[in-house]
Amino acid sequence: MPTKILITDDSSFARKQLTRALPSEWDVDVLNAADGKEAIDVLLKDAPKVMFLDLNMPVMDGYETLEAIIKQDIEVIVIVVSGDIQPLAVERVTEMGALVFVKKPIKKEELSEVLRSHAIFDLNAKVVAAKSTKALTTLVSETVKTDTQEGYQEIANVAMGRAADLLAKLLDSFVVMPIPLVNVIEVSELRMAIQQVDDNDMVSGVCQGFIGAGIAGEALLIFNEASYEDIADLMKYVGDIDEAVQVELLMDIANILIGACLKGIAEQLDISFSQGHPLVIGRHVKVDELLGQNASRWKKTLTIEMGYKIEDKNISCDLLLLFTEDSIEPLDELVSYLID
Amino acid sequence: MSEIDVKDIQRLLGMLRAIDVGLIVLDEDFTIKVWNDFMTNHSGIRGEHVIGTNLFDRFNDLPESWLRNKTRSVFQLNNSAFTTWEQRPYLFKFKNYRPITGTADFMYQNITFLPLSSADGTVDHIGMIVYDVTDVAVGRLALEQANKELKELRKSAH
Repeated sequence: MPTKILITDDSSFARKQLTRALPSEWDVDVLNAADGKEAIDVLLKDAPKVMFLDLNMPVMDGYETLEAIIKQDIEVIVIVVSGDIQPLAVERVTEMGALVFVKKPIKKEELSEVLRSHAIFDLNAKVVAAKSTKALTTLVSETVKTDTQEGYQEIANVAMGRAADLLAKLLDSFVVMPIPLVNVIEVSELRMAIQQVDDNDMVSGVCQGFIGAGIAGEALLIFNEASYEDIADLMKYVGDIDEAVQVELLMDIANILIGACLKGIAEQLDISFSQGHPLVIGRHVKVDELLGQNASRWKKTLTIEMGYKIEDKNISCDLLLLFTEDSIEPLDELVSYLID
Repeated sequence: MSEIDVKDIQRLLGMLRAIDVGLIVLDEDFTIKVWNDFMTNHSGIRGEHVIGTNLFDRFNDLPESWLRNKTRSVFQLNNSAFTTWEQRPYLFKFKNYRPITGTADFMYQNITFLPLSSADGTVDHIGMIVYDVTDVAVGRLALEQANKELKELRKSAH
C-alpha cells in the first residue's frame, strides 16, 4: 500500500518542486494543502504518515500548524521545509515536535538522505515498489503561466530567507518574515505596492543597481527611521545616534539584505549579478517623496517586495527588487528551467 | 577560455596593476597581500614595502575599529559590503587626483569589500576596491550648498 504523505505549502511551485524531489522508488500517495488550515483538515481526514510543512503561509502558518497538531494530538511525522533558515526558526520548530528541518529548495539526493537517516524511507532496505506517478502527472499538466508566477514567488521566498538568516546573525535576533509579494505593476503604482510602510512614517532609502544574464534592475531598501535606535542598540553602537551613525547603520543593513537577496536569487537561477555601488536616495522623507524624487524611465516593472521585522523590537524595513520590463522575458526563461 | 594562456594571464595582471582604482587584498589578520599601482602611487608607498605587513601598523591613521566592524560581516557572512563617501569621505588620506584645478583637498572614496574564499569555501581573505569619487562628491556637495543658498534667498525675499 502506498504511504500517504502531505505536502503543505502555499506555493504550488514549491509543492511541485518537492514532489519531484521525492525518491522515485518511494511508493507514495501525495496529498496537497495550501495552508495550515487545509493541512489540518487533510491530517484529520486522511491521516497521512509524513507531512512536509512550509513555515511562511497565509491563513495559518507553519508554527500555528505545529501548535494545532500538538493540541489535537495528531500523529504525524513532520518535516519542515523552509526558506527561513534562521537558527532560531530551526530551534522553535524542533521544540514544537518537528522531526527535522530542511532548507529550501531541497535537492533529490538531500531529501533521500534525510528520509534515510530518519528511517522514514530507505532505498536499500526496501524492495522497489511500482512508482506512484499519478500525483506527478496531474501536477505537471498545470499551465506554465501560473508556474512562472509561482516560481518567482518561491525564488523570492528562498532568497528572503537567506537574507533574513544573515540579518539575524548580524543582529543576533529573530527576523520575522512575511510572504514576499510578487507583482508586475506600472511604475506609477509603485507606492501602492509598498505595504509595509505607513504614509506618515519617516524613511530613508538606499538603492543599488544590479545586472547580469540579461536581467537588470534595482534593489531599493526603505528603512523606517523609527528603527534607528533599536538597530543601534542591537549592533552595539555606543553614543549618540547622530547623522553619521544613521548612515552607517542604513548601509550596514542595505549591504546585508540586498547582497544576500541578490545572491540567493542568482544562485537559484544559476547566474551571477554585478552590483553597482549603493546610493542613499533620500533621508528623513516620507515614502511618497522618496519614490517621487526618483521617477523612472520604465513603464512596467516586476517587483518583489520583502518586508522584514525584528521580533520584539521596533525595527522594520522593506526591500523592493525592481526588475526592468525587458528583464521579464529572460527571467521567465530561467524560471522555466527550474520547473522542467 | 578553454585553454589558459600564460600570456593572457600576464596581460590581465598587467591591467590589474595599472587600472585606475585601488586594489588591496588582506587576510584575516589584516596582513596586506596585494597592493596595486594605484595604491602605490597615491600613497607613495611601494608594494614591496607594504606586502606582508599589517595594514594598521603601516597606516596608523586608519579608523581601525570601523574597518574591523565593516569587514567582520564580510568574513563571517560571506557577503560583500559597500561604503560610500557620504559615510566616510575617505579611508586612505590621498591627495586630490587633480591637485591644480580640483577644489577638494583630498580624494573622496567609495569602497567595496569582497569576500575571497579559499578552495574549501571558507572566506580567508577580503578584496578591497577603492574608487576615486571626488568629482561626484564635490558636485553633490556644491549642489546641496546651492540649494541651501537658494532656499535662504527665497526666505529673505518674502
